[in-house]
Amino acid sequence: MGLIQRLVEEAGIPTISMGNAADRMAHIKPPRAMLVKFARGSMFGEPGNVKRQRRIIMDGLKALQTMTEPGTIQKLPYRWKQPDPE
Amino acid sequence: MPLELDAYKPAYEKWVAESLADYRAGNMKEIIKKYPFITPDDIPWTAYSGQPSNQTFALVTSGGFYLKNSQPPFDTESIHGDTSFREIPKTVRQQDIGIAHLHYDHSLTEQDMNIVFPIERFVELEKEGIIGKLTDTHYSFSYVNDVVSLVTATVPKFISRIKAAGVDVLFLVPV
Repeated sequence: MGLIQRLVEEAGIPTISMGNAADRMAHIKPPRAMLVKFARGSMFGEPGNVKRQRRIIMDGLKALQTMTEPGTIQKLPYRWKQPDPE
Repeated sequence: MPLELDAYKPAYEKWVAESLADYRAGNMKEIIKKYPFITPDDIPWTAYSGQPSNQTFALVTSGGFYLKNSQPPFDTESIHGDTSFREIPKTVRQQDIGIAHLHYDHSLTEQDMNIVFPIERFVELEKEGIIGKLTDTHYSFSYVNDVVSLVTATVPKFISRIKAAGVDVLFLVPV
């Protein structure tokens, strides 16, 4: 996924991605990414948490507008089955 | 800077030869340990400008999603993985989705596809005008080891599709 992201960015389309493994992300160097604490197969957390799904996309929209340094990775605070911070 | 496929290619071929038995036995930890990951030095960058409310978005997952009534599943047997992608319409419903990817637990995505492909949330954001437009078509890849085919054949085709669809921003969610 990181390679696809890099090639799309190189082709002139801004990208934002997610990940859950900081070590893997450090190797592949995505242009912009958000790091979550969720397991493989559920980047947006537990099923049915609509509010959080929306919130993470909104985090992504904000990241697009605020990240200015190639390779910025933003850590998101959300935790599995726990209430999200205000 | 282009990816260094010349060095990767023989390393990958060696990995395939050495890992086939472990792959067939499902020893994923072992084969990942030996995989010749590409580690580029540079970071590509296209500056973002404008406002999401005026822009066209597309979503891509690597969850191995396909439309079970109209598309073939991904190849889940080959050690190379499957470098093709499937086009998923934004009107897709949970019951339309099949998953062909052996290397993550599908039980949660089968309950809610949005946890790796939040298409329903993007549709809502489009209706509310928070994003300008959501393309009609979105994309799923699956498990891939063969980076040469991915980078030289599939991704150029993928990029031409999203450019033709007028995509301004791509949101990528791996599994």
